[in-house]
Amino acid sequence: MTRFLGPVRLGPFVIGPVDTRAAAIRAAAILLGAGCVVWATVPPVHKGLANLALILAICGVAGGALRLILAGVPVPEDAFLLPAPTQVWLRFLGILRQVPWEEGAVIGLVWLEVLHPSRPWHTAILGAALVAYLLATHLAESNAGPGTLRPQVRVLAVGAGLLALGAGAGMLPATGPGAGAALLRLVAAVALIAAAALVLPYVARRE
Amino acid sequence: MSFPSTLNGPGRDEPGQEFSLQWRSSRHARRLLTLGLAALFIATVARRPEFAGLAAPALLLLAAGRSQHRPPRVSLGARPTTRRAFEGELVAIDVLIEGQGGCSVRWILHPGHEIEPVGPTAADGPQARFTFSPQRWGRRPIGTLDVVLRDRWRLAEGHLTVNLPTLDCYPAPAQQRTQVVLSRLPNRLGEHAARTFGEGIEFAGVREYVPGDRQRSINWPASTRRGRLQVNTFAAERSQDVVLLVDGTSDVGEPGSSALDLALRGAAAAARAYLDARDRVGVITYRWGAVGWLGPGLGRRQVYRIIDAMLASERGGAGPAGVASGTSMHRLPRAALPPGALVVVFSPLLDQRFVETLRDMRERGFTMLVVDVLNADPPVRLRMPSRGGLGGSSPRANTDRMARRIWQMEQEAIRFSLRELGVPVVRWDGISSLDLPLARYTRRPLIASGSRR
Repeated sequence: MTRFLGPVRLGPFVIGPVDTRAAAIRAAAILLGAGCVVWATVPPVHKGLANLALILAICGVAGGALRLILAGVPVPEDAFLLPAPTQVWLRFLGILRQVPWEEGAVIGLVWLEVLHPSRPWHTAILGAALVAYLLATHLAESNAGPGTLRPQVRVLAVGAGLLALGAGAGMLPATGPGAGAALLRLVAAVALIAAAALVLPYVARRE
Repeated sequence: MSFPSTLNGPGRDEPGQEFSLQWRSSRHARRLLTLGLAALFIATVARRPEFAGLAAPALLLLAAGRSQHRPPRVSLGARPTTRRAFEGELVAIDVLIEGQGGCSVRWILHPGHEIEPVGPTAADGPQARFTFSPQRWGRRPIGTLDVVLRDRWRLAEGHLTVNLPTLDCYPAPAQQRTQVVLSRLPNRLGEHAARTFGEGIEFAGVREYVPGDRQRSINWPASTRRGRLQVNTFAAERSQDVVLLVDGTSDVGEPGSSALDLALRGAAAAARAYLDARDRVGVITYRWGAVGWLGPGLGRRQVYRIIDAMLASERGGAGPAGVASGTSMHRLPRAALPPGALVVVFSPLLDQRFVETLRDMRERGFTMLVVDVLNADPPVRLRMPSRGGLGGSSPRANTDRMARRIWQMEQEAIRFSLRELGVPVVRWDGISSLDLPLARYTRRPLIASGSRR
C-alpha cells in the first residue's frame, strides 16, 4: 500500500512487555502473603473464631495474588454484544479488581495473631513481614521497581526500631500485678509511636 | 460524575494545557492505614504492647507521607505525528507533562473506536509515545488518556483523564496505474496522446513535406522510397477533465469492506492516477437529499481536497466546495460537471434514483464508466432439514433463496440497461488492483459521447 506520509519513528519511551523484574516482584508479594498466613497460623488455635480469621486471611491473600496475576488482562470498553461466558469472565475480573483483598488479609492475620498467647518477637516478625507484603504488593500493582522505595528507607528503619521496641516492651515483665501495668506499657508504646510520627515529617522533609 | 477534558494537540513549541488534579489516597495508603488501625485497636483491647509496635511502621509511613508536595495543577501536552493518516498507517502521539514536581507519572491509553494500538498502551515517565493505527476512514477520536501521578512516598494519587485530539483518517487508496482516456480531448496541453496531430512525442504517421516543416522531422527512409520528401507527424498531447461520482446512498456489507468503503478507496485511487497524468479531477458525492461537489483541479493537493470533500459529504457538511440540495445533477454548476468530462462512477447501483440520475446524465451526453462496488448479497437462512424427511430444506430457506435470486436478476437487469445505454459497468472486488477491471477500457481510448465511431 502506497503511503503519502513517511514512516513513524518509534521513540525511546515505549515500555516493553512484562519483564522478569515485574514477575519477580509479583512472586515475592504472593510468597510474602502466603508466608504471613503460615506464620500467623502456626501453631493452630481453636478459639475466638480462629477458623473464620484463617479463611479471611487465606481468601485475602489468594484474591490479592489472583488480582496481581490477572492485572495485565485487558478489558474491552464495549461489552454489550459479547457472549455470556466472556461477560461472566469480565464481571469476575471487575470484582477481582475492586475488592480490597489485602485489607481483609491484614485484618485476618492480625486477628489470628492475637488469638495466640503473647509471643512478642513472633508478632514483630509478622509485622515486618506484613509491611514487606504490602510494599511488594504496591510495587507489583504499580509496575514500579524497588528503587522507588529508596526515599522511605529512613522511615522504614525508624519503624523497624519501633517494632523492636514494641516487642521488647511486650517481653518486659509487668511492674506490678493487675491490668494497670499492662495498660501503662501500652500507653507508653503508643506515646512513643505518636512522638515519632510527629517528629518524622520534619526529618523526612530534610531529605 | 466528571467528564474528561479535551486536550487539543499543541504544536511543537506551544505550551500544554493546564489541568486540575484530583488527589486521593492510594490503595497502598489505605492498606497501611488498615494495618495501623487494626494493630492499634487490638493493642488497646488486648493490652499487648507488641501490637502497638506492629502498627508503628505503617503509621510512621502515613505520617511522613503527609508532608509531600502534591501539585494541584499540571500542564499537559499531546502532539500527534500527523493529523491526517490513511487507513492502516502507523501514527504516534507524544504526550508530555510539566509541573508534576517529584511525582512519578503513569500514562494509560484507552484507544477510541476503530483505533488499533500498536505496542503497549501504558507507559511511565514525564513523556511518552503511543503508537496506533486507524482502521477505518472518518474523523476518529484517538481515545482517552488516563494520567496517574504518585507522590514520592506513593501514598497519594492524582488522577486526570483527558480526551486526545481527533485524527482525520483517509480511505487507503486502492492501486491504479492506468487511466481511461477519452477519444476526444479538450484543447489543453497534457500527457494523453490525442487523435489530432500536434507537437507530442508519439509517432502518428507520415505525410508529404510542405514548406515550413522542420527539417529535422523529415523521414529519410520514407522519402527515399517515395521519391519525395516525407515528414513524420506526431500526436498532440492533451489532458482531460475527470469527474469522480461517488454514490453514498447505500452502505452495505461488512464494515471495513462495505460498498461505501470500496467506493471511497476506489475514488481515491482514481484521483491519484488521473492527477499523476496531469488531468483535472473533481468529485461529486451523491447522497440522500443533496449532492456535494468539488470542481476539477490539478496538482497533488487535489487528492487531499477530493478525499476531504468525500469525507465532509459523508459527515453531512459542505466540504471545501459546495453542496447542491436535491438529488438532481441539473442543479450542479458547470464548474462541477464540465461538458465533455469523463465521469467515473463508484456505486453499488442499489438506489433506483441514482440509476435514473446516471441515465439522465448519459442522455445529456456525458461519457461515463461505472465501477460496481457491490460485494454483498442478501443473507439467506441456513439450510434446515424439513420435518417430513431427510435432506430437504425448510420453506423459509426456499423463500430466501428465491428472493435472493430475484434480487440478483434485478441487479443484472439494472447493469444490462446501463450497458445498453452505452455506459460500461465493471465489477471491482476492492482487493485487486483497479487496473484489472478497467483493462478493457484503458488499452484504447473510450469513445466519447457524440464522437463518430
